[in-house]
Amino acid sequence: MKKLLFFIAGLICILLMPGLLFAQTKTISGKVTDANKNPLVSASVIIKQTSQGTATDAEGKFRLTVPVNATIVISSTGFKSRTIKAGEITGDLNITLDEDIARLDEVVVTGLATSVKRRNLANAVATISGKELNGVAPAQTFDAALSGKIPGAYINANSGAPGGGISVKLRGVTSVYGNTQPLYVVDGVFMDNTATSAGLNAVTSASPGTNTSSQDNPSSRIADLRAEDIENIEILKGASAAAIYGSKAAAGVIIITTKKGKPGRTNVSFSQDLGFVKVRKLLGVRQFTAERAASLSGDSATSAALSQQFLDAQAAGKIYDYEKEIYGETGFTRNTVLSLTGGSEKTSFYFSAAKKSEDGIIKNTGYRNSSIRLNVDHRINDNIKIGVSTNYINSSADRGLTGNDNAGVTYGIALSFTPGFAELHPDANGNYPRNPFAASNPIETRDKMTNNEGVNRFVTGINLDAILFKSANSSTKFLGRGGFDFYNLQTNALFPSSLQFQAVNKGTSIQGFTKNLNTNYILSLVNNFSPSEKLTFTTSAGITQESGDFNNLLNIATQVISGQSNVNQAGALTASQFRTKFQDDGIFVQEEASIADAINLTAGVRFDKSTKNGDPDKYYTYPKAGISWNLTHMGFWKEGGLFDNFKLRAAYGQSGNFPAYGSKFTSLGVSNIAGFPGSLINLQEGEPGIKPERQTEFETGLDFAVLKGKVSMQITYYNKQVYDFLLLNTLPPSSGFTSQWVNAGNLRNSGIEMGLNAQPVTGKNIRWNTSVNFWLNRSKVTKMTIPPVTLGSFGPVVGTFFIQEGKSATQIVGLGGADGGLAVWGDQEPKFQMNNYNEITFYNKLSLRFLLHWKNGGENVNITTLQNDIGGTSVDFDDDKNNNRIPDAYDRLMQIGSSAQQFVQNAGYLRLREVGLYYSFSMPQTSLIKGLHLGVSLNNYVTFTKYKSYDPEVSNFGTGFSTGLDVTPFPASKRADFHISVNF
Amino acid sequence: MKKIINIQFVLLLLTMAFIQSCKKDYGDLNNPTAEDFLKNASKDQLNNLVSGTESGMRNNLGLYLDETGVIGREIYRFSGSDPRYVTDLLGVNDATLSNNSFYINNPWAARYRVVKNCNLLIQAAANSTLITESAKKGYTGFAKTIKAYQLLLNLNLTYANGIRMEVDDPNNLGPIVGNDEALTEIANLLDEAKSDFGGADVLYPLAGFGTFDNAAGLVQFNRALAARVAVYRQQWSTALTALNESFFNLTGDFYAGVNNVFGTGSGDQLNPVYLPRNYSGEWRLAHPSYSEDIEANDDRIGKAVLRASSVTDPNSGLTGDRDVWVFTSGTAPIPIIRNEELILIYAEANIQTNNFTDAVSALNKIRNGHGLPDYGGAETHDALITEMLNQRRYSLFAEGHRWIDMRRYNLLDELPLDRPDLNVWEEFPLPSTEQ
Repeated sequence: MKKLLFFIAGLICILLMPGLLFAQTKTISGKVTDANKNPLVSASVIIKQTSQGTATDAEGKFRLTVPVNATIVISSTGFKSRTIKAGEITGDLNITLDEDIARLDEVVVTGLATSVKRRNLANAVATISGKELNGVAPAQTFDAALSGKIPGAYINANSGAPGGGISVKLRGVTSVYGNTQPLYVVDGVFMDNTATSAGLNAVTSASPGTNTSSQDNPSSRIADLRAEDIENIEILKGASAAAIYGSKAAAGVIIITTKKGKPGRTNVSFSQDLGFVKVRKLLGVRQFTAERAASLSGDSATSAALSQQFLDAQAAGKIYDYEKEIYGETGFTRNTVLSLTGGSEKTSFYFSAAKKSEDGIIKNTGYRNSSIRLNVDHRINDNIKIGVSTNYINSSADRGLTGNDNAGVTYGIALSFTPGFAELHPDANGNYPRNPFAASNPIETRDKMTNNEGVNRFVTGINLDAILFKSANSSTKFLGRGGFDFYNLQTNALFPSSLQFQAVNKGTSIQGFTKNLNTNYILSLVNNFSPSEKLTFTTSAGITQESGDFNNLLNIATQVISGQSNVNQAGALTASQFRTKFQDDGIFVQEEASIADAINLTAGVRFDKSTKNGDPDKYYTYPKAGISWNLTHMGFWKEGGLFDNFKLRAAYGQSGNFPAYGSKFTSLGVSNIAGFPGSLINLQEGEPGIKPERQTEFETGLDFAVLKGKVSMQITYYNKQVYDFLLLNTLPPSSGFTSQWVNAGNLRNSGIEMGLNAQPVTGKNIRWNTSVNFWLNRSKVTKMTIPPVTLGSFGPVVGTFFIQEGKSATQIVGLGGADGGLAVWGDQEPKFQMNNYNEITFYNKLSLRFLLHWKNGGENVNITTLQNDIGGTSVDFDDDKNNNRIPDAYDRLMQIGSSAQQFVQNAGYLRLREVGLYYSFSMPQTSLIKGLHLGVSLNNYVTFTKYKSYDPEVSNFGTGFSTGLDVTPFPASKRADFHISVNF
Repeated sequence: MKKIINIQFVLLLLTMAFIQSCKKDYGDLNNPTAEDFLKNASKDQLNNLVSGTESGMRNNLGLYLDETGVIGREIYRFSGSDPRYVTDLLGVNDATLSNNSFYINNPWAARYRVVKNCNLLIQAAANSTLITESAKKGYTGFAKTIKAYQLLLNLNLTYANGIRMEVDDPNNLGPIVGNDEALTEIANLLDEAKSDFGGADVLYPLAGFGTFDNAAGLVQFNRALAARVAVYRQQWSTALTALNESFFNLTGDFYAGVNNVFGTGSGDQLNPVYLPRNYSGEWRLAHPSYSEDIEANDDRIGKAVLRASSVTDPNSGLTGDRDVWVFTSGTAPIPIIRNEELILIYAEANIQTNNFTDAVSALNKIRNGHGLPDYGGAETHDALITEMLNQRRYSLFAEGHRWIDMRRYNLLDELPLDRPDLNVWEEFPLPSTEQ
């Protein structure tokens, strides 16, 4: 309420102030260029402390009428802004803007309706430009393109399956059972990122007794977005920056801005990528001998038969490497993007049409994405601007059948039991032999099955920006932003009756239909008030509403008529439906004050209620505050001295995380018998009083730039406390329930982030920009009101996460401790991570860019190699590294049940994630082709790791808390691409 | 300018009022809740609970049969994906039974889930004003009978470690009681249910009860279970009394009785222990002793049919060459209790009460029914007990009895050990979450 009073007081001041009279005006004109004299298009030229101004045209020229005593600010994204007094201008201005290596003049969103320059920011907000995201070595999907680029984030690919599936954890795990994934906001629209299971569990039985499972390896929906359309990404990593997003912000917020049109000549750009994907690494297969073949069985008759089978196969030259055969395909990749930008002073547009088509490293897998985007901005008059962004996406991913499985049907599990002397190939008539070693013939499965996710998605955002009132030192704006995100997802999993493992079900067709609609709006008022040159207040207040409606229908048909997939062409059909619906309402107020452009104060509060909470009418309060103190602007240090910029900052904020959907109900599931409908109580007891998780975060740091901004550094420390985090309390099952959601404890994440941006070489012919980031996070469970909980794995025999008071939240424990107890064998949290991004430009034409990513430490639970040992097919099965004359595989198998140490493996790596070399041909401006760019790039090509499975980035359980569990995943791939891009 | 302030205020106030006014609670969109049933349940709602109860009895039943079969050395359960069926259950590599593994956690929780459903049914029926008193008794009798049976199955697993009997209030659970006390309480519960059925209306449809789907039939089923509990308690005359009130028929069909039934309908389940013959990847094989010990001409060899090739488990080195062929299709029923068991209970109770003539005639019914000649051995207590146990072994093969029978006669050390380093477990530990 205080804020509101302040706001009103401010407005009254405005009322009482007589409008300033502009005694004299003058018209100035000029040209804005970069250091190399290239014109800067759309640079903004604005009268300081007002929103009056213009933008440069295609030749970098501008013309503006200003008061004689005004100060003009000239700025452009990626460049340092310059300030010029109108009175000092004579004749045509020729202004050169310097490159903003430290990005101090970058404008960063700090509220729902306001933004501030980085030099005045109280938080460490990471940004990724479109070029960094997609301009080095493009990844297959948008989410994969984030890997290694966000300091403070732990980004992990769930598997190598086409179509994405990435876990992004910002500043440690923020929740155990709740949402750990950030909120994605694209041009003001809250994008849904649900991973919807295709119901593969009905075939794999990875989690017996249900149709869907977290082990179904679905993609994340944010992968639909096209990286090429993205101008800029800002990452609010914790509550101190994201509190204004309230109860959705606990896991951070990723704010994505797509490309906008620019006034001037219409620019047509066409780009084409061609390339291939290959498996990053294969494990290898066991080399059999007659003896080894015989040892697969303990029965003498069977042994003899196996030995003979091997000898026969050997004689016929039919010893196969099935791993290579399944995972070793080379997938062809294509990506075509056509974009148009342009516009007039009133209306500008960005249009893109893109099509991507990629095959996978396994036959019959791949990814397709077609997208059309149209962003239009229109200025109705000097005071009212409206922007509409629309995006239609059609994506399709064929993801194969991989991962955990209790039925022996996935490629990996079947391969683990299949020795190379088995014959799996079809005969001349196309009949696949039965695989006597496993429940399925993986070659047959691969050739006949389908597992497709198809999405049709439509996203529209609307921005309305209206100046309600303006005077020389005050202006009030209405900002309305909103939009919707709608998609239809169809999952199609088809297992024909002729498959070996369909002997009982005689064909399974799993058809899933999902419809999701998210809508959101923010209505806000923003007042800028500058009582003097040295003082600016920005007051914003508004309301928000977000709603979601998710509806998933999953049909599982068995006894499917041969060659059919429709669920009615079947002898048996089970259907399940799952719906979620929510509405969240929020109110926010924020006040920002800037004193002498040196001290910036921010305070805000958000009130949130949600139908997801136990009490849907209770408002929860999420405050925030921040201060930044720019010492160079205070005159302590002269600009141009040692420090070009020196800033101290601190910020505090709170945010929340909703309870899991449905956690307040004790419900009954359907359990029918003989056609009678039955209700059977669910194993989870409801908790009517469930509250949101609450996070408080304090961060502080300093930013400085030296050597005229050529070297800049940011250092940040944060301490993030999560209160009332949700846990599934294990109940004595004799109660009829096995679990109940409870607000069970507190946990803490604290960490350090350091970043260095530098331009070590700035010649006319060679420029080298580099940035190095270092970050680490440590977590600790500070309070638990229930006994320790194991989760996210297959138990202590192989190693499991163990939430325990006083310990790291991500510790991995397993058998092998003293007195037969549990020992801590590892931790998912890396010791630290570093990245290094470089761009070296020669003669303004040739550009070499690369991104290195080092994850030091952090353990996975790897049971892929165990699976191969059990199946008798691991490549090092017969090694005897400890010289005990027993094959190592037996040594390893003997440890099962006594120690889990061998499964908890260091998953650190040093990876050259992306490297690209690009060449731009200069074209005369008169020719039809204005620009021609060629490039080659490699993605994921070089990795140094000691990790023993396919890739250290893996997660059998998808994007939840427990990443890093490795069970015969879809192997990771590497990509090579050739790029050509033409501008007309 | 005054106007602007007014607009701002009005906007803010209006929207605040708008937010305050829309009270939204979507409820549970996906499922009925327990509260729905407890409010004032209709007959249809109560019937849904009955069918849910009957259906829920099948959850993890396959696991129960697998583990009692494996420990009782009736079957081998080899699995391509889970070595614990051989390591833990047989004691390979010095593995022991864990108190936090699927083989105890899952069946234990599944049975108590049904118990909870029964308790909800009892409470919902009591709260309902829409049904008559006699209808309430019908629901209560059913709920108590099933509850007793489910508790018995858990007690079969944990035996001397006991079970929890008082579980009505999830926040205030009763103590764990030992085997004897638990059996007594289970017997009492069955007796209560029997008296509930007196004058009860059975308004609900039942799936696996055949002709026993009315009050009289349900009493017969209830008494059959009571007879089983009585022999577990060594109360032989009680067993005989209960048999008389059950569907026991010395000359009747061995398979007459009550079953867990399976179907392909929506939300239904398939027989969890059915595997086609010669299947690989997952295996249920007869323990080699089954065919080694069987008498010539015994048609029960048909429950363990030779495979095209033998199977060796890499974890244990054990080999089997016969598929368990007791349940021969995905919709084959799994008996809860059937006449063949009742005949054998009759034989057992008569042996124990030294009424050897009736005992031998009952055993001969079984023998003749499976192509064997009359019993020719000594008619002594010990010899007849051995014969009775042997007939139970073959007649009730893979139906979850062998381990429990050998245990109650203190004969677990007579079960065949494949290797000296293996173990025959006496009971499962209580799940760690119960301790």
